[in-house]
Amino acid sequence: MSLIFILIKFISILVGSIFAGFIGSLTGLGGGTVLVPILTLFYGIPFIFAAGASLISTIATSAGSASAYTRKKIANIKIGIGLEIATTTGAIVGSLTLVFIDRHALIWVVYVIFGLVLLFSLIPTIRKIGAEVPPEMPPDWTTRVFQLTGQYYDEHLKQTVKYKGVRWWLGEIVMFFAGFVSGLLGIGSGALKVLGMDWAMNLPMKVTTTSSNFMIGITAATGSSIYWYEGYINVFIAAATAIGVLIGAFFGAKVLVRISNQNIRWVFFAILSFLGFDMVFKGLHIINFIITFSLTIQFFISIAISIIMISALYIHTRRKEWKEVK
Amino acid sequence: MKNHDDEIIISYFLRAGVIISVSFIVLGVILMFVKNGGDGFTLSQLSSYNYALNHGIDSKSLPLGLIPEGLRSLDGLYFITVGLWVLIFTPITVVFIGWISFLEDKNYRYVLMASIVLFNLFFAMLVVPRFIG
Repeated sequence: MSLIFILIKFISILVGSIFAGFIGSLTGLGGGTVLVPILTLFYGIPFIFAAGASLISTIATSAGSASAYTRKKIANIKIGIGLEIATTTGAIVGSLTLVFIDRHALIWVVYVIFGLVLLFSLIPTIRKIGAEVPPEMPPDWTTRVFQLTGQYYDEHLKQTVKYKGVRWWLGEIVMFFAGFVSGLLGIGSGALKVLGMDWAMNLPMKVTTTSSNFMIGITAATGSSIYWYEGYINVFIAAATAIGVLIGAFFGAKVLVRISNQNIRWVFFAILSFLGFDMVFKGLHIINFIITFSLTIQFFISIAISIIMISALYIHTRRKEWKEVK
Repeated sequence: MKNHDDEIIISYFLRAGVIISVSFIVLGVILMFVKNGGDGFTLSQLSSYNYALNHGIDSKSLPLGLIPEGLRSLDGLYFITVGLWVLIFTPITVVFIGWISFLEDKNYRYVLMASIVLFNLFFAMLVVPRFIG
């Protein structure tokens, strides 16, 4: 009898992971950003196990969907590997920081940081909403030195898009933080990677999301091996999430190539804002700081705040469109 | 990259890595349920997170040196372990293929950059564990 309960437990983690993988792949975030909050908030899994399972599953998402994108030649492997210098270094520093935090029983800090990272990763999303291909910027010296050029065929626009990246150094700085966050929180930190390539290096959205997808795997591999030796990977959970996230990512990848970028960003925003608020509240709840009410009330407050934010933002962007029509 | 077949090769490697890894994990999960546990722990011990957390049932309690023996005795946990490590190595092949293709293109600036990435990866795997363990 208890075997059936354990099987149900396994399947329920599997279902949650499928959901996380789908959203993660669709947004270029990697499943982890959605998976860690789901595992900690809804399944009551300790943070380090959630982070461990998530980081290793992120590799599966990344490899699974990257195998589809690289074939379509949208992802830029050269730029990606160049930026991996910073992300892998960051991942080592980040996972060692998590080890330090965990050994000093400061895990509530990670919850708050996790929530804040989620919420702040929305800012670049909000600001650039609607831009399919970035406004052209004059190439600088890094464009030539680091060969930051490329092209891809956009199925949605039905044309070949040529692009030139700029400010490689700024991209590397952002990527170091992306790697740090990945190792610290057990996520792929795709949002920061997208920020690094989209905002810092002015690469088109399709290139940033697909390149970040295969970069996430390399960053996560660095952090995962440190996690493994530190004992953050619970095999029971990791097995369920690795398979689930992969299934979700498979369907996400199918949808991504057919979707307009604007839709990607709205999905991004809606889910992340809720999970972000709830993670911050959970962190503060652990130390009974300001927020001392029950987890259920927290849950509804998070939903309320994110609904208000999404509606406000939706109306804000729509108003711009209406003005343009007039 | 001049040679655009690299992207196809990378795509195959990624796919193969994922398929091998998932096969091991699925097999391991089946074995774990059929044999009601693994590595000396029962399934209910393995599946309750807080018990596992407090009793140190995690990746630290699965020495990689015992993998051959674990596989021979059809221990589900070690099958999952192999699956997870195949997963960790899968993205590394991308960097490795990139490294080779940059070398073929005589793009030495990028050969150096890919080398640094590979160094970081193996640093995390081989050097860091000695310091934190």
